[in-house]
Amino acid sequence: MITVSGLTKHYGPRTVVDDVSFTLEPGTVTGFLGPNGAGKTTTMRMITGLVPASAGSALVDGRPYSALPNPGSVMGTLLDAAAVHPGRTGRMHLRLLADAIGVPAPRVDEVLELVGLSDAAGRRIRGYSLGMRQRLGIAGALLADPPVIMFDEPANGLDPEGIRWMRGLLRDHAARGGTVLLSSHLLGEVEHTVDRLLVIGGGRIVADGPVASLLSSDGVSVTSADPVSLAADLTARGFAVAPGDDGALVVSGASPSDVGAVAAAGGHVLSELRPLQRGLEDVFFSLTAA
Amino acid sequence: MTTALATPVAVRPAARRTGPSLPSAVWLEVRKSLSTRSGMAVAAAALLIGPAAMALAAGTASEDLDDALGPLVVTGLLGALVLLSLGALSTAGEWTHGSIQTTFLLEPRRGRVMAAKAAAVALMGAVIAVVASGLSVLVLLAVQPSWPWDGVGRAILMVAVAGAAFALIGAGFGAAVGNTAGALTGIYLLNLGVLPILQTTKPELADKIDPGNAILELAQGDQQVQSVVILTVWVGVALIAGTVMTRRRQVS
Repeated sequence: MITVSGLTKHYGPRTVVDDVSFTLEPGTVTGFLGPNGAGKTTTMRMITGLVPASAGSALVDGRPYSALPNPGSVMGTLLDAAAVHPGRTGRMHLRLLADAIGVPAPRVDEVLELVGLSDAAGRRIRGYSLGMRQRLGIAGALLADPPVIMFDEPANGLDPEGIRWMRGLLRDHAARGGTVLLSSHLLGEVEHTVDRLLVIGGGRIVADGPVASLLSSDGVSVTSADPVSLAADLTARGFAVAPGDDGALVVSGASPSDVGAVAAAGGHVLSELRPLQRGLEDVFFSLTAA
Repeated sequence: MTTALATPVAVRPAARRTGPSLPSAVWLEVRKSLSTRSGMAVAAAALLIGPAAMALAAGTASEDLDDALGPLVVTGLLGALVLLSLGALSTAGEWTHGSIQTTFLLEPRRGRVMAAKAAAVALMGAVIAVVASGLSVLVLLAVQPSWPWDGVGRAILMVAVAGAAFALIGAGFGAAVGNTAGALTGIYLLNLGVLPILQTTKPELADKIDPGNAILELAQGDQQVQSVVILTVWVGVALIAGTVMTRRRQVS
């Protein structure tokens, strides 16, 4: 579990993270979404103590990260896949991490197989592609199979197969009771992976909630055989009606049952009735527009 | 590259409940230093430069040596100068490559990381220096079988002290600078540029600040207190500066 309270970071007069607060519960995958420079990475670095916070606090498993007796066994973190010595082999890199965390040596080969790097484990990291470094970073984070996982842009450099695998990995981790925080600017990636979205823009959390509720909109789209007559009946009942695409009517402030009741009472034949849903991209840009 | 991505296992591996003990952390740092080509190359150079210089000196000398201490310490100091790099690489190298991020994620107590690195480079410096001295002795034996043994023990001890001290100075300087190229340039400019020039122009001042000269004085039994103070100040200032910067610097 991660609890962040009023986390703030100033660089001189510039505030890059402004009073960010959230709590992440076990069993959930949370997407941390925002444009470049929004403050995602700085927030994650403050959670791990790599960057000191100007104000506020962050607790992992009830303690500041720096007070965890063995942090690598509590939270698996991938912030920068390039943060490795290029002269070491992938296997040696993981062996050093395994010894630091205190997991048995055979676990190294397990995670190498898990991320599909067994064949490249003996090669020096300088010869790895970005995707391979990303998978090596994920392997390092998973060495102790920690209850909390925090990945910053893990899909960068991964091929479609790797992205799909990672989605499954994170979903499986949450299903086993783990807590996952996943930052991304790839909207589609987040949409298909997370239960909850934290949207950050200009250093502030601008939206926080389940994906479905953020995507839902207060309104209904309805297509009728006689849209003019249906629009008149809906307007008479006090609903605001506007023309939509392909002859549909957009009824603001109404639920499907409201519109269904009006249609039934008026004997209207409906060919489509659905709640309006905004695309994640629309939500993202409307929330983060400065 | 074709990869086969596996499904995660449901059994959580047993992990230690606490971080590594200090000896384990020191051993981990030793392995980190020697797990790269650059680290191994510097260690090998530090190991071989003294014996090679001894072979050259003994092989070309017109007269037999009447004292083993001086040549052993002087050639040992060559290795110690190389050990400056080993120390600097162990700290500055992590900042340059960004791997310090992983190090601090697994051990957020930065003072402890610095302590482990300092102990590791001191250990490596002393061991490499002692082994190098042993090789130099073998070289002397091969070139001049009847050479005098007087002072060999003291010479090896002084070379070990030099190896540890110079590696510590390098580690502290590297941690303070946080950049491999900058640390190596600065430290060698100081030791091979500024100090020799000072030794020529202001020898009385140079004698009071030159760590290499302090090792020579210690080996000869001269200026014992002053020499210990000089070495202590160099190591202390470097480590304090390195620790302060390591604790303060943000990992971005």
